[in-house]
Amino acid sequence: MAKKIVVDPIPRIEGHLRIEATLNESNVIEEAYSTGTMWRGIEVILKGRDPRDAWAFAERICGVCTTVHALASVRCVEDALGITIPTNARIIRNLMNATQVTQDHLVHFYHLHALDWVDVVSALKADPKQASAIAQSISPWPKSSVGYFKDLQQRLVGFVESGQLGIFSNGYWGHPAYKLPPEVNLIAVAHYLEALDFQKEIIKIHTIFGGKNPHPNYLVGGMACAIDPNSDTAINIERLMMIKKIIDDTNTFIDQVYIPDLIAIAGYYKGWLHGGGLGNYLSYGDFPETSLADFKTLLWPRGAILNKDLSTVIDVDPRDAAQVTEEVSHSWYTYSGGDSKGLHPWKGETTPSYTGPKPPFEHLDTDKKYSWLKTPRWKNHAMEVGPLARVLIAYAKGDPMIKDTVGLVLSKLEVGPEALFSTLGRTAARGIECKQTAGFMRHYYDQLIANIKTGDYRTFNSERWEPSTWPEECKGFGYTEAPRGALGHWIQIKDQKIKEYQIVVPSTWNASPRDANGNSGAYESALKGTPMINPEQPLEILRTVHSFDPCLACASHLFDMNGKEITSVKIV
Amino acid sequence: MKFNRINVIGLGNLLYGDEGFGVAALQQFEKSTTFRPSVNCIDGGTQGIALLDYIESCDAVIVFDALVPLEYDRRVYVYRNDELPAFIHRKMSSHQMGLSEMIGIARLNGRMPREFVLIGVPPKELELHVGLSPELSRLLPEAVEEGRKIVEEWLAKAEYIS
Repeated sequence: MAKKIVVDPIPRIEGHLRIEATLNESNVIEEAYSTGTMWRGIEVILKGRDPRDAWAFAERICGVCTTVHALASVRCVEDALGITIPTNARIIRNLMNATQVTQDHLVHFYHLHALDWVDVVSALKADPKQASAIAQSISPWPKSSVGYFKDLQQRLVGFVESGQLGIFSNGYWGHPAYKLPPEVNLIAVAHYLEALDFQKEIIKIHTIFGGKNPHPNYLVGGMACAIDPNSDTAINIERLMMIKKIIDDTNTFIDQVYIPDLIAIAGYYKGWLHGGGLGNYLSYGDFPETSLADFKTLLWPRGAILNKDLSTVIDVDPRDAAQVTEEVSHSWYTYSGGDSKGLHPWKGETTPSYTGPKPPFEHLDTDKKYSWLKTPRWKNHAMEVGPLARVLIAYAKGDPMIKDTVGLVLSKLEVGPEALFSTLGRTAARGIECKQTAGFMRHYYDQLIANIKTGDYRTFNSERWEPSTWPEECKGFGYTEAPRGALGHWIQIKDQKIKEYQIVVPSTWNASPRDANGNSGAYESALKGTPMINPEQPLEILRTVHSFDPCLACASHLFDMNGKEITSVKIV
Repeated sequence: MKFNRINVIGLGNLLYGDEGFGVAALQQFEKSTTFRPSVNCIDGGTQGIALLDYIESCDAVIVFDALVPLEYDRRVYVYRNDELPAFIHRKMSSHQMGLSEMIGIARLNGRMPREFVLIGVPPKELELHVGLSPELSRLLPEAVEEGRKIVEEWLAKAEYIS
């Protein structure tokens, strides 16, 4: 009989992502089901409110990719009301977005994903001399002396030996799916700690332009920060120099730490090319060089790829009712016109209707409804969104920077482009993209300085601020590419209030349940066919799910003295 | 002993019933005490990774939080320094970077404050609403008082206060 594995965070705290997988006799995943166990409901909260306030509510969907919902929200309101934002506002938004993507990718790689590839305990056995030699052979990064690695290793030993720390007992340390030599593990642990220290510097850019982080301030019509080189309180030369320094340090860290680590680690795993999945990729595009409507100028191109066919990038129009739709045949909602009929978000409905078992439960009936996530589809295709989608679309469109960097990474790893259609490819794409967005930070900084030098200090267009200037009824679409993928906000405004608001987030695309035709979502499809070494320690599942960088509702932080694993694994 | 900078941090989600205990305790602490500027009160909310700097940058820290103790009586628990476990969990999402990770990392970095105290109570109700359960509301003053006593103890020992 087929075995079933359930990977689920502790449900007592609150709902999250849950994966159920069935295995065949040889422990290969036959089917996987992805479930969002919590309802977001922000669409309902937004109804009837002032559209100028929507960003502040929507931004709080997430405290990690904190700026993206504010950006998509102000863009959809501006689209609806026909507001053009000043050049400075466009540049600052782009710079903040590039900052967000860069920081998020770096944090994801080292602090969420690395432990799927790096065995911390193995680092205890490393020879610091060899670790130093390897580190110096792959990068000019200065923190690479024998003494540095020796000191870290001693701290690590002390940490493990202090006894009351359950830290290493609840990991999958020693799992045979780990392939790195102890020295590379030690280097990775060193950079795990360095990246933690460094990431908090990057995000200071958000506090300079947005006042605070998380949840920096946005504004319908522009940005809420004043530019004045002669003022103490505005964005002045001193602040700009601080930003410049952060951008330079970020580029150094990505070039000298992240990219060399990625290539070194990937080299040991290039035989593990599971987790490709759908082969359908979607990006709305982002980083407008002029206006958002002119999507031909986006530095991240818009488009779709089907069936891994890199020779054709298909045009995408998220305003088209026949393209982006959401259905709910396997989701805990009802639609007035039938659950299996896909609705465009401008016609979207949010009527929750839970029909699942009462928690805590062992299983979900996956033939019926089994998720709080709706089922978004593009022209009826399940799509993957995120760094791999964006990199493949840019690669297929011949973007020179992406072509060069992808080529460099592939040649260093001695693999062909087909290796990109995998979990490892997704992880590599995130690194490649991080290098690109660190470059964007420089690009937008230079643009900002050049524009300020012309004497243009404007950051806000107040023409349509007053509701009396608005049409009686209008609708808008706002998009961005969040670190995790395509994000769209669709708004309808009537009598100066929000009539309807629909949000389709990246993780809804990637973690979606099956549709009415039985087509799997991206996670479900990516897990299929993956061999598991030990089903009780489903490292392979976590590896693939993590490679998508799942964005789940904010966890609460109950302090657990027992050190129980947050993620429980059950085999039934 | 130097106590130039003492951070008092409240953790939790106010929208989630007793989960918000730490933040409620911090608010009470801030209202009921008049310490010198060297004592900083920080509403840490449900932040994880962003808290690291507040932990690593001070001489002593008090954290108020809802907690799951080893034995589960509903009373105020005070844990000091080495009594605090540090775990680095396997996570599903970056949202799950919690206090235990931060302590683990501060220890690995060799940057733990000299004194680290966790004050907390096991939650009774974890449901989506604002406000503590009657049981936790009753325990709140005691938790705040424990925090106040400890800060005074530190300040009394301090050789130099900026």
